[in-house]
Parts: sequence; C-alpha cells; structure tokens
Amino acid sequence: MTAISLRGVRKSFDSLVAVDDVSLDVERGEIFGLLGPNGAGKTTMIRMIMDIIRPDAGRIEIFGQHLTERVKEHIGYLPEERGLYTRQKVLSVLEYFARLKGATRAQARQSALTWMERLGLTEMKDKKVGELSKGNQQKVQLVATLVGDPEILILDEPFTGLDPVNTRMVSTVIREQAAAGKTVLLSTHQMALVETLCERVFMIHRGRRVLYGHLDEIKRRYSDNAVLVRAAVDYRQCPLIARTVPENGTMRVYLNAGVQPRDFLAWLLQAGAEVEAFERATTPLEDIFIKVVQEGGG
Amino acid sequence: MRKILVIARHEFIATVTRKGYIFAVVGMPLFFLVIAAIPMIVETSGDGSSKERGAVAVIDRAGVVDFGLAAEVIEQVGATSDASSSLEPKKGLQLIPYEDLDRALADLQRRRIQACYVIESDYMTTGKVSVYVRDEGLFSRLNPKGERELYALLRASLVKGRVPEPMLQRVLRPVNLTSMKVSERGHVQPSESEWSEVTKLIGPFGMFILLTMAIFFSSGYLLQGMAEDKQNRVIEILFSSVTPEQLLAGKIIGLGAAGLLQVTFYALVLLIPSMVLVVTVQVGIGQILLSLVYFGLGYLLFASLMAGTGILGSTVQESNQLAAVWTISSMVPLFVLGPISESPHSALARGFSYFPLTAPVTMLLRISLTTVPVIDILVSVGSLIVGIFLAVRGAAKVFRAASLMYGKRPGLSEILRWLREA
Repeated sequence: MTAISLRGVRKSFDSLVAVDDVSLDVERGEIFGLLGPNGAGKTTMIRMIMDIIRPDAGRIEIFGQHLTERVKEHIGYLPEERGLYTRQKVLSVLEYFARLKGATRAQARQSALTWMERLGLTEMKDKKVGELSKGNQQKVQLVATLVGDPEILILDEPFTGLDPVNTRMVSTVIREQAAAGKTVLLSTHQMALVETLCERVFMIHRGRRVLYGHLDEIKRRYSDNAVLVRAAVDYRQCPLIARTVPENGTMRVYLNAGVQPRDFLAWLLQAGAEVEAFERATTPLEDIFIKVVQEGGG
Repeated sequence: MRKILVIARHEFIATVTRKGYIFAVVGMPLFFLVIAAIPMIVETSGDGSSKERGAVAVIDRAGVVDFGLAAEVIEQVGATSDASSSLEPKKGLQLIPYEDLDRALADLQRRRIQACYVIESDYMTTGKVSVYVRDEGLFSRLNPKGERELYALLRASLVKGRVPEPMLQRVLRPVNLTSMKVSERGHVQPSESEWSEVTKLIGPFGMFILLTMAIFFSSGYLLQGMAEDKQNRVIEILFSSVTPEQLLAGKIIGLGAAGLLQVTFYALVLLIPSMVLVVTVQVGIGQILLSLVYFGLGYLLFASLMAGTGILGSTVQESNQLAAVWTISSMVPLFVLGPISESPHSALARGFSYFPLTAPVTMLLRISLTTVPVIDILVSVGSLIVGIFLAVRGAAKVFRAASLMYGKRPGLSEILRWLREA
C-alpha cells in the first residue's frame, strides 16, 4: 500500500522553480531515501507533504487521501530547522507535542516517558530543554517526532550534529520503526547511511527528479563494468581488461566495453589462477550523487 | 477545537509560570504600594508625635493676634480646602504663641515645629511678617506650613470686636458654596461634592484602566510568544500537527486568559484599599457588559495584529520594535485623555471611537465617563469587527509565509504580497 504519493507536484517562489513536476510513491513499511544537494528542493517537497506550504500544481496524498487534520496526527515530522521550547521542561514539551498528535494526557505522558527511557533521557525529564547538551537536545527532538506514535516518519537530516554513538542509535530506531510496519521518509546527505538504511531512493536536483528507484538497480546502472578480484595472476596478459586499480587488498578490474564479468571469470579459470574473491563492483552512492550533480542531470 | 484548547492550556501555563509574569502580577502592585507608602512612612516616622507634626510658632510683636480664635479659624480653613483642592482633610495643625525667637528657632531645628512666623512690631503700618523655615530645598520655602491659617487668623483678629458677630463669621468663612450642574439638555440639579463625584467615577474609571491594561498585557504576551516560537524554531513542528489558524486561536485564548488573570489580581488588590477607605465602587451592569464587549473586541484586534507582527521579526527584540506601531496608535487616545474626559461627545472623541485602532481605548474611556449614544456604539463596534476580520485574515496569511523565514526580516513589499495572495 502506498503511504505517500506525489503526482505532478510543482512549486515556485517568484521566478525560482523549487520543485518541478515531481511524482513518487513511498510504500508502507519501507525506509525511503530523499536525496539531493543543498537547495535542490528536498525541504520544499517535505513541507508540501506536510501541508506547511501549498503546491502550485499537482496532487499529494497520504494513505490515499488528502492531508487532513486526522491524517496529520499519523505523521511524525523532524524538520531540518530544529526547534524546541528551550525555557520549558523536557517532559512537558514532549507531552505537549504528543497531545497535539491526538494523544490523551495519560497516553502522552506514558509515551514520552517510554521514549525518554529508550533514548537515555529519563534523568533529564525535569530539566529545561535549554539546559541540555546539544546532543541530548537532538535526542529530545527525535523523541518529539516519535512521541505521537506516528505511522509515517518524515525525518529531514536526522543525523546532523550527532556523534557516532548517537548516529548508530538513531539508525537503530529507524530500522525498528520500519520493522514495526512504519514508513520512514529520510532526507539526508549522509550517503553511507542511506546505503545501509534505504531500499529505494529519490534524488532531486534543481527541482527535478534525477534518480528514482531501488538502490541496487541504481547502483548497477551506474556501475562502470568493473569487478573486484583477489587472485594471483598477471592481469596484463588478459585482453578483456581496460585497466586495473588496486583497492583495499583487491584489484578493481575495469573490463572492456561489451565484456561480461563471467567472460573475465572464465579467462581467470582458464589461466589457472587461484581466485580468492570475485564480485561485481558497484559504485558507491556518494560517487553516483556527485556524478549526477556534476552532470546536472540523470 | 480540542487542539485549540490544548494550545491555549499550554500557552496559559507556560506564561503564568514565567518569572517575568509572576513578578508583574505580584511585584507591580507591591512596588506601587511601597511607593505610595513611603511618604506616609516618612511623615509618620519623623522624630515627633502627631501633635508636633503640624505645629507652627507665631511670635506676635505687634500684639494683634487673638489666639482664642485660632482653633475656629483652622477648622474653617481646613473645611474650605477640603472642598476645593484636597481630598485629604488637614489635621493636627496648631498655631502656637511663642515669645522668644531663639527658642522658636531651636524648636524649628529640633523639628518640634514646622515654621515660625514673626509678626513684626510695625505690622499695622507695614503688614510685615517674617517666616522662618528649615532649609530643605526649594519647596519648603515656596509654601511654608500654616500660611493660610495665619492669614485667616490675622484677618479675624483684626476685625473681632470691631464688627458685629455675623460679619465676623462671614470674615471667617466668606462663602458657603452650593454648586449646581446644568446637563446638556438644560436640566439643573445640585452638584455633589467632588469627593463623592470622584468616588462615583472610581469604579468605571478603574474598569477602564484595568481592561485597557488587560488588552495590552495579553496582546504583549502574544507578541512575545510568537516571536519566541519563531526564534526557537518550533513553528514548523507545530504546523505538522495544527493549522496556522488553530495555532493563532489557541494562543489568543490562552494568552488572553493570562492577561485577564493578571488584571483580575490587580482589581482585587485595588478593591481591598477601596473597601478600607469605605468607597462604594459603583458600576452599572450595562457599563460592565459594554466595557467587556470593547475589551473583547480590542483584545482580538490587537492580539491578531501582534501575532502577525510577532512572526515577522527574527528575534523577540526585533518583533517588539515592529509592534511599536500598533502600541503607539492604540495609545493615542491616552495622550488626549484630558480633552476626551472633559467632552466625551466631542468630534475628537467620536472620531477616535470610529477608528478601529483607537476605538477600544476611547470607547472604554467614554463608557466610564458618560452614557455613550447608541449610534457611536454601533459604528465603533462595526468598525472594530471589520478591523478584526482584516487583522485575523492578514495575520494568518503572514503567519504561513513568514513563520518559515529564518534569519531575515521580510521587506514591506514582501509582506504586502503575502497579504494580497489567497
């Protein structure tokens, strides 16, 4: 079932077209990556999904319906511009956000306490938000997103300002939420995390779609016909190879155009080489990202 | 509606538990009480008893003063001054005959007396009287204590025995004034004393002051709250759960309640001294209802304007500066409080009543002073409703657009464009 659906969505600010004819589907229960360089239109897309700004054209649906007040209650939103009531106590801030998502007072308190315990914030419940460290404020911000027990999580740069320990903790929470059937729309610049977390991605550049689909497919599409090989052999003897680059104890072998990896494997075996490792080399998402941005299109 | 109430409750609790609010609610009346009490404390503490407080020495070198008349004269002068200028009867003044100037000056230094008058021996031909006061700054020399009483005593002493008794009484008290007031329709009726006129006004005028204060306190909290929300970057999170209109409504209710609570406390603090002074606070039910209507409309107008303005600044300070334009416009009627109080039906008063920004304060003032014509009420309520409609719509539009602009203040052309957009 489709959790979030955009069809032909367009938004411009004066002469700048921030989002241009964007269509995508985020399926229920998946972790979906929204990628793009700064100013590409990611935050504008997210704000339109949240009905904070209205599109000039197109249609946005959540669980097959327009974003109503009731539907909003099922979405947890972590905006890029972080914000909390710094002069108020942590617990009361979290209770307030939960109540705005439709929870009763008792439910709000219970949910806030549970999440605070989960993220190691229990001792800080009576402290003012402004007195917490930046890292803990980030955690409170994440709890504020989760405290209403939403069906959909929209997280705009959730890893910004987190140390490796907290980054791993947030990643774990995201995975757990997806495993529990929740849908996660994740916007981030951290490509390594996208590769470990997301199944499908959408990349926007200058307001337009440049990549969309399963991560594996995209990586395959952008792979440059190379394999990673660990074998004792003289590669110069092979007529199928364009060039070789050593890489972490293996050799990245770029094959000539039209040569399939299985042809090269057959040559290796025929040459009597002892093959310890052989795999198709994929291009890191970060390289794809940079390539797409530099080329200015998909 | 449930979310509006959740927001209202949150805003109310967040505001009333702030140190600044608690200080304003409890601290301000205390501060004014202390200010009011200081002169009383200074006067009563001194180094003398109540008898010495108003003692004035008179050295009669010309032998013209009949000190037997002193008590009556002081009483008459006191009665006249009570009715004309002061609400507080003068008590305890004594004109004491002294023989020796040195002794009088010594008592003056020891604060046993307030002043010493010397009626010189050639008084009958020259009218010469010298006065000695302590050097305590300009005002002590400008208005020496007992001056009017001494003059009256001299006049009475000079004519006593030389004129018939009734004439002496007229010298002592030349006027027994009966004042009448003529209404706009020509009805003549006896005028009450100033004191009772004033006590009649205390209730309505107090209500005017309190409700005006409530409008400004509450809309001030709204301005601050909006600016803080923007500065704290929480508006985007709030908009993920509620609409701009719900947020605006919740804040208006919650902060309006905080402002009302504040003035209710002030009203109670004011009621206690008025009960002690046995002042009957008279306010008609019609006056109360009408005043509440103008309070409600005024608050809605200024709250919407403050909310729309609060969201424009990048910081609380910047928003405060921007909102000054509304505060000053609404205060304009207070700058002409005198003329409006003297003629509540003048063109000036009516003009201010018809303009939305000045209508709440002007009408609250007029209601406290007089019976306002129905046409004025209809026109001013109508103009306020139109003003509120425009302010709420404008605030909601500005809200949606400006709440996500961080770090920069929108220009006037940008604001006008938002207002034009649907």
